[in-house]
Amino acid sequence: MKTIKQLSIFLENKNGKLGNILNVLKAENIEIQAASVADTTDYGILRLITSEQMKASRLLQANGILVNVNEVLAIEIEANTSTFASAVDSITDGGVSINYLYTFHKDGKLVLIIRPADIEQAEKVITEKGLTLIQGWE
Amino acid sequence: MSNKYWNEEIETMPRKQLEQFQVERLKKTVEIAMGSNFYAPILKERNITPENIKSVEDIRRFPFTTKNDLRENYPFGLASVPLKKVVRLHSSSGTTGNPTVILHSQRDIEQWADAMARSMYTIGLRSSDIIQNTSGYGMFTGGLGIQYASERLGALTVPAGAGNSKRHVKFIMDFGTTALHCIPSYATRLAAAFQEEGINPADTTVHTLIIGAEPHSDAQRKRIEEIWGAKAYNNFGMSEMCGPGVAIECQEQNGLHIWEDNYIVEIVDPVTLEPVPDGEIGELVLTTLNREAMPLFRYRTRDLTRFLPGDCPCGRTHRRLARFQGRSDDMIIVKGVNIFPIQIEKILMQFPELASDYLITIETVGDNDEMTIEVELAQSTDDFALLQNLTKEIARRLKDEILLTPRVKLVGKGVIPQTDGKAVRVKDLRQNH
Repeated sequence: MKTIKQLSIFLENKNGKLGNILNVLKAENIEIQAASVADTTDYGILRLITSEQMKASRLLQANGILVNVNEVLAIEIEANTSTFASAVDSITDGGVSINYLYTFHKDGKLVLIIRPADIEQAEKVITEKGLTLIQGWE
Repeated sequence: MSNKYWNEEIETMPRKQLEQFQVERLKKTVEIAMGSNFYAPILKERNITPENIKSVEDIRRFPFTTKNDLRENYPFGLASVPLKKVVRLHSSSGTTGNPTVILHSQRDIEQWADAMARSMYTIGLRSSDIIQNTSGYGMFTGGLGIQYASERLGALTVPAGAGNSKRHVKFIMDFGTTALHCIPSYATRLAAAFQEEGINPADTTVHTLIIGAEPHSDAQRKRIEEIWGAKAYNNFGMSEMCGPGVAIECQEQNGLHIWEDNYIVEIVDPVTLEPVPDGEIGELVLTTLNREAMPLFRYRTRDLTRFLPGDCPCGRTHRRLARFQGRSDDMIIVKGVNIFPIQIEKILMQFPELASDYLITIETVGDNDEMTIEVELAQSTDDFALLQNLTKEIARRLKDEILLTPRVKLVGKGVIPQTDGKAVRVKDLRQNH
């Protein structure tokens, strides 16, 4: 499967919690490429794409932080709104429902991180639509 | 005579007869307690005499006795006999004020030894056994109490004492020890000492462990039994009642028979001090029926338990207590409901998504008491809905158990504050608390 690894970190709403996580990564020179926070009043889930996902996961766990490693799809497109809009249209037109989405810039391109309800079906639709899925980067 | 019982007549006595037996002993105990500077005026004031005690129900005419009474009358204020008749004392450490002192006459020591010997016999130990005691031989009753009982049973008794696991290992191997008396945590530590020497504890001659003096769960017991390839029986005692030998699990391993020829057993609501309905959790209250140097009436043990319903297949008629469920001091009252942290813990432990630490906070919001339960997650997830459903399901199951709906808050690992490595379970922030 053409997926990438994402870290989902349980985050209680407490002062200093996010800083604590970032400092753990900073100490080992792990670069954060993208971050997104979903939250309720009590807790949130911090989603991270870093330069070294497995190492980051181990480090965070060792520091008593709860981390879940899971798979998401990363689509690389031209960095403009019109391409973004047509990419999203073609995915949803293909019957894929998106649970969440966030973006980041990489080498002049825009990367869409997508967690669809059905990852296999989504991968199929995206490939059929001729969009570029990024694979791997650990 | 069956060889199943140490004292068949007493252990299998029909309930009615057993209660009559208790009444006779209660009368005798009142007579003895008239010699106590502490109890004499109380008995007089309440017009309690041996003659006007007719049934076990009369116990409710007595006041409760607390640990504080023992502290305030330190050291000999509760003696019911002249000190020349006292042959031994045991004492608690007294970390929170005066220590408590428990006095024993020669007869008390003998009766105590007999009760604990009966407990040992109940779990299958015989005079052919070699019993090694890992408790300290000092003020703690687990040392001498077990020693005298084991000797009364006729077993070869090894007073190895506390600590020095290497020596325990050597003794067990050299003497062929068949039974151990230890606290549950030491059973695990000693097993580790065996493993360090390359010996599997399950390969030793040890077939029985008497464990007690420390709260433990059934899961913990099963683990101990597995490591040792042996049976482990829960033993209950407290120095105020004599020491070990108050109650023990029989070989059914389903509840602890409390020796009712020696104690009148009550389970009361810790707040109202009224008896709880049969089978409900409350505080264990004991009256000694077979002690003379320092009998105690309605002693509040602070231990929470309940009676197990029904008869025990072992044939003993003495009622069974459930594994202890914490201390009455831990009880909290929210919106008029009595809640024990253990009830909450029991529910939380049903969720594999949760870790074992939690914190119950009660605070006043407006005119209301609000309860919040923070509980640590065992693992993270990417699934938001799962966390929300989990929170709802925990709150729902808690409501079924404690009859009110707490706010449930999931937290990460290490967020619950710890003191001395032990998690703080309850934080009561209410005004006038």
